[in-house]
Amino acid sequence: MLSVALDAIRPLITRVSRNYATAAVANGSHGRVANASVTVPPLQAFPTSPLRQPVYVPLSSLIRTGHPAHQPDQVAELDPTVFAHSIRRDILHLCVVHHLDSLRQGSANTKTRAEVRGSGRKIRAQKGSGKARLGDGQSPMLRGGGIAFGPKPRDFATKLPRKVIQMGMRVALSARVKECNLRIVESLDWTGTKTKDMIRRLDELGWDQKTLFITGKDIVPPGLKRSTENLHKISTTTAQQVGVYDLVKWSQVVLDIEAVRWFEHILSKDRVEFAQTM
Amino acid sequence: MLPTVRVSSSRVHLFNLHPSAGSRHTQKRLGRGRSSGLGKTSGRGHKGQKARSGNGKPKAGFEGGQTTISKLFPKKGFTNSINGKTYAPVNLDRIAHWIEQGRLTSSPENPITARELVMSGCIHNARDGVKLLGDGAENLKVQIHITPSRASKSAIEAVEKSGGSVFCRYYNRLSMYDCVKGRTDHIDAAPTRRQDIEWYTNWRNRGYLAPESIAKMPSVQERWRQLSDQLTRFKNEEFAKR
Repeated sequence: MLSVALDAIRPLITRVSRNYATAAVANGSHGRVANASVTVPPLQAFPTSPLRQPVYVPLSSLIRTGHPAHQPDQVAELDPTVFAHSIRRDILHLCVVHHLDSLRQGSANTKTRAEVRGSGRKIRAQKGSGKARLGDGQSPMLRGGGIAFGPKPRDFATKLPRKVIQMGMRVALSARVKECNLRIVESLDWTGTKTKDMIRRLDELGWDQKTLFITGKDIVPPGLKRSTENLHKISTTTAQQVGVYDLVKWSQVVLDIEAVRWFEHILSKDRVEFAQTM
Repeated sequence: MLPTVRVSSSRVHLFNLHPSAGSRHTQKRLGRGRSSGLGKTSGRGHKGQKARSGNGKPKAGFEGGQTTISKLFPKKGFTNSINGKTYAPVNLDRIAHWIEQGRLTSSPENPITARELVMSGCIHNARDGVKLLGDGAENLKVQIHITPSRASKSAIEAVEKSGGSVFCRYYNRLSMYDCVKGRTDHIDAAPTRRQDIEWYTNWRNRGYLAPESIAKMPSVQERWRQLSDQLTRFKNEEFAKR
């Protein structure tokens, strides 16, 4: 975690979360009030409660080549209710299990004694043979008979309260921030198409983990998509489509500024302010 | 109590997520051996009706053969599902209280209808119409101008005594719905049944189609005027005078 004095980084701070006037808002993808003026409240406006201190993440850059990643000239200031949530693994478990349940095909099928092909003729006489009484030849007790209580195609999807899923998103994002595996870039608009250029850039940045690029735009930039399509350790998605499962699965997550704004718009909680006395 | 979670110090990943302790219980599996505790008779005991496969229970309300409580007492009466109406009662004291609180206002031009009563919370459901009843008639001080579906005689008397006005309007199911929803683009149907016509052309009930009501109501639709004419014309016919 970034641990520098607030004074030192004040000039570096990019107010990602508070910047309303963006192309994304103009596109109408967020549905927020399109306030054209950019309001930047003074730092003193932040309450001093430790629960509300914003999270600071240095801004990385995918596009600007030749710029070393470990010397940030900008810092992103993130909403703590989204990116500094307490880690609740049980909530993540619920969300992941819910997601995987929904993926189940549920197509296992067996034939019951009614569905197995065969006649209903009584196999042997009720009495006299000295053996057990039997009806038709498709009874589950017999070899070649139907299956009693076997699987039938069914829907394994479960319901999970909307707010649990939202909490899961907050926890997953906060977990990545806590592990220092959440990167924020200005833009994911990679212009090249060659995979080897992307590999070179990722080597420069030192991002060798499994990485998920999340863009806040409506579609993933085509250059980025083509460059990373053949890399099995890299995946790309949009902020609207990403879920808790993806955030947990991919060890490193790279957001662009619009994606950060999207998540803060959807997930931010307005908390009641406590008194200023600590 | 906070949910107990197994804490892993490593990073969060798909392979180290756990449900919170105590949130998951193993399934009860019947008939799988002695040690499970649910083998052989599988928790049903020995024989008897409850041990049988299928439902094993008699139908609901069965009392072992004794005449059931639902059969002991005779049926009575009938339900008029075609023309029966359930009016939502509202008393004068309640309306007066609402007016004093400022939750309801009325004037001769804008009388209180079922919509205002429902929206202000005086009534929760207008049902087939609103009937004005007379609890609180003696202490009524405020002016109430109201157009319910029905009104009791004592309520009418009390309201008119304190300077208000009551005119009872006919609402069928569709016009009641429109009234409560505030739709004014439909034409409200006139009463068609003889009983309704007789009731709503009667000044005693303050029916809106009575000739005296047409004369006194501040806002009268032209249609009502015509209806009132037509529906009371029989009284002046030769055959009626004999």
